[in-house]
Amino acid sequence: MNQSISEFAKSQKPDNYYSELVKKVGELNQKFRMFSNINQDISSGLPFSVKDNICVKDVESTASSKILSGYLPPFNATAVDRLPTDEFGFLGKTKMDEFGFGTFGINCPEHPLNPFDERYVAGGSSSGSAVATAILKHHVSIAESTGGSISSPSSFCGVVGFTPSYGTVSRYGLIDYANSLDKIGVMARSASDARYVFDKMKGSDNYDTTCVDHGVSSLNKKKLVIIDQLVNGIDSEILGSFDRVISKFEGMGYSVEHKSIPFIEKAIPAYYIISMAEASTNLAKYTGFKYGLKVGDFSKPYNDFFTEARSSFGIEAKRRVVLGTFVRSASVKSRYYEKALRLRAMLIATLNDVLKDAFIISPSMPIKVPKVEEAMEMDPVTAYKIDYLTIPPNLAGLPHISFPSDYIGGMPVGTQLVTNHFNDYAILDVVAEWEKSFKYKFKYEVGAL
Amino acid sequence: MKIGLEVHVALPTRSKLFCSCSADAEEPNTAICPICLGFPGSKPMLNEDALKSALTVAKALHCKINPETYFLRKVYFYPDLPKSYQITQLDGAVGHDGYVDIGHKKIRIRRVQLEEDPAKIIREDEYSLLDFNRSGIPLNEIVTEPDIETEDELRLFFNELRSILYYAGVDITKEMKADLNISLSDVRVEIKNVTGIKNLVDAERFEVKRQTELISANQKIRKETRSYNAETMSTVSSREKESDEEYGFIYEPDLAVYPTGNVQTPNVIIASEVAKELSVKYGFNQVTLKELTMFDKKSLELILHGIKGSKSDTVLNAIELLKRQGAITISEQNFDKMLSYLDKGLLLNEDAIKALQENREFSVEGSTVKTEEIDREINAIVSQRPDLVKEYKSNSKAFNFIVGMVLKKHKVNPKYISERLAEILKDKA
Amino acid sequence: MDENEFDRLLKTCRLSLAPEEKAQIKKDIDNIIEYFNTLSDAKCDDFAPAYQPIKVPPRYRKDAVEHFKETGKLLKNSKIYRFFIVGPKI
Repeated sequence: MNQSISEFAKSQKPDNYYSELVKKVGELNQKFRMFSNINQDISSGLPFSVKDNICVKDVESTASSKILSGYLPPFNATAVDRLPTDEFGFLGKTKMDEFGFGTFGINCPEHPLNPFDERYVAGGSSSGSAVATAILKHHVSIAESTGGSISSPSSFCGVVGFTPSYGTVSRYGLIDYANSLDKIGVMARSASDARYVFDKMKGSDNYDTTCVDHGVSSLNKKKLVIIDQLVNGIDSEILGSFDRVISKFEGMGYSVEHKSIPFIEKAIPAYYIISMAEASTNLAKYTGFKYGLKVGDFSKPYNDFFTEARSSFGIEAKRRVVLGTFVRSASVKSRYYEKALRLRAMLIATLNDVLKDAFIISPSMPIKVPKVEEAMEMDPVTAYKIDYLTIPPNLAGLPHISFPSDYIGGMPVGTQLVTNHFNDYAILDVVAEWEKSFKYKFKYEVGAL
Repeated sequence: MKIGLEVHVALPTRSKLFCSCSADAEEPNTAICPICLGFPGSKPMLNEDALKSALTVAKALHCKINPETYFLRKVYFYPDLPKSYQITQLDGAVGHDGYVDIGHKKIRIRRVQLEEDPAKIIREDEYSLLDFNRSGIPLNEIVTEPDIETEDELRLFFNELRSILYYAGVDITKEMKADLNISLSDVRVEIKNVTGIKNLVDAERFEVKRQTELISANQKIRKETRSYNAETMSTVSSREKESDEEYGFIYEPDLAVYPTGNVQTPNVIIASEVAKELSVKYGFNQVTLKELTMFDKKSLELILHGIKGSKSDTVLNAIELLKRQGAITISEQNFDKMLSYLDKGLLLNEDAIKALQENREFSVEGSTVKTEEIDREINAIVSQRPDLVKEYKSNSKAFNFIVGMVLKKHKVNPKYISERLAEILKDKA
Repeated sequence: MDENEFDRLLKTCRLSLAPEEKAQIKKDIDNIIEYFNTLSDAKCDDFAPAYQPIKVPPRYRKDAVEHFKETGKLLKNSKIYRFFIVGPKI
């Protein structure tokens, strides 16, 4: 039985517990490269890490982008601020795909590596958070998902990744990727830990208009729906494993039904259009003089000055800025940006209908964990399409959770559950139930007492 | 010629549009926070009163009010724009399709939108200096249709607009900035950031001359953005501006859609409309009334109050007296008293007016003069000083000298004395 | 996308690319736009654009001044000259 977070915080620990922890994490960071910085001064509480696009006061926060190097936010993100300091101790910032742009966690210098086998990717974009969670015995990570950035690395690293309903956790202090899609969530080693942290973070905030005052429910009708289109094109071993997961749920008393949503594949282009359109406006502010990277030579005419600063974006960021600028251009906006918003509306209506008496279940990722070079060689369209299981709930702002459900060839496999808006507790409950009969495997237990 | 204006007006709020920083700070960069500096991670939260003010202005400009209003991001790059996008409005603006009546015609208002002001930027040779106190101050952008056709209409419109804004609670002592769209042919030239009516007229004159010369020389007028230089009184072609294609408007996803129906706004008086009504109803001189009240709410209130019991001449006379003596803050009750003296043919001296303003007792005997007294005094001087009477037509000093002599004895409205003197002298001639 | 349009986009978003990077991104972007075009036959035009995934009720801030206490830390991120933030030449 896992020790609860509050029990851990209060528990007796050896005097050198935190100094040894920091030392050990530092060593493993050489190998797995999950932290961009480690707080050497941590001295109490449950260690928690924070994805680098979430601001921690006075700690360099860069979203793993060179253009933000040196940025010291003079404020805490609300989600971080709400974690009581007598229960939680800040351990460090975790690496990610630059600004959240990626599925594999490789779009940043010295990207994190998979803790089960460092030849493999960690998944993205919350790569560092997943690696840290897979390595540390007592720890949670504050992560963020735009289109699957919690489910993907959670699945590839074998941890629980919970993405709450859009609007339940304040985004104040989150360095924006796409504001209408970004959701702060939690990675943990158990559903109960994730729930504990979620409860601390959630609730309306005077600094985020879109964070709503809405209760969270736990309605469970013991029914799972498999969307035909979401089990198409899945790796055969993953699919075989998924069938076994479904059988287990049937054994737990869940009924299973198949449904078809033919247009659901359109969610992928719609998601990328909206996220890039918003991202291209969010990244416009990086011009090299108010914070982060400095150009220095102020005598340069401002356009040249800005262009010089912006050359330090990584290639994926550049691609998305150009594409995002294109899809919202006045002459094509109705064809791309507005059309995508309409598709989102249709998707929400359709999914809400399915979810009113069931959860949607699918594998978290359609492929086995890829090796780093495989991911590197993938062209953008192929890579984008790999998100087809995580995009629908993200585009619709629906709460979802990825949990370890199998191990194939020694690498973890995750399953994803989706529920309707503000029914977040229900999927946390289901995973807690799952954990009673399925033991997660970890290669490291750093900080075990 | 067709002129359209985009006028920018700072709304009267204590704090900024999307953050709690003061909208009224002196020392540079003292009223700043992560939100108005556009720091990564910050988000906007709408100021309730800014929306209320914007709606008040839109209604005063006879606009149709959108039942729901929302914001957009307009992307362009300039050092004074902290996020490189401005949170502004377009289709979902607070108001649209209104007008300003300038007497002989209506200038149509296309749109009234609520948006954030960029920072203040100072140009230096080798760099620029930025003060973000101004960044995020709520602005109304008032966009007209190109209905202004003459310089006269430009002045009339601007003056009328200022009056309406004044009554809507806007601080009009701050000079208003406007963009001027001007076309003599089918090509539209935009002149950015012109401050105040004088510069607006000068810029218009220069631009009309420039475009006329190009047309008569058979040269092409370029569709472009120009800036106005107040020192040289000329316009020059300015930086390349993004067009609508490049602005790439998207919805502001960090804000909500705001209903306007339940927002309580005060009714704004349109002084010139009231002046027109009163002149028809009570025989006021419309021009005088407009001049008195366009930028003086208190006067208008007193007039509207006083006209219920007194004649229009008496009311105007009283207002003029009060304004001359800076005593316009008089209470309605004492204004009634003042009117009753005037109605009785009594003139009030300075002490009496001051006492009324300050709500003190005063001796009616000692502080008022019957109008006959003034006539008597004038007649006395006129008969004693034929030298002055002889001179008065060619020498205004002689006339004023007599007025001065009367004033020494009776400290009353000199204008009244002048009028009486002119009348009496006319009879003598 | 033709070369001119691509260059105009780069200029609009203040990016300049090295020739190799430019060729790579141009090719990727053409492929991605082709993929985006698959959205065109989606039958969703009866739906109003959902610019947020949930209904966000209107929220306001009272018009009250509150001073941000860490102004010094804000300014520490920039170059300062006589209380002004220094920016590039205009």
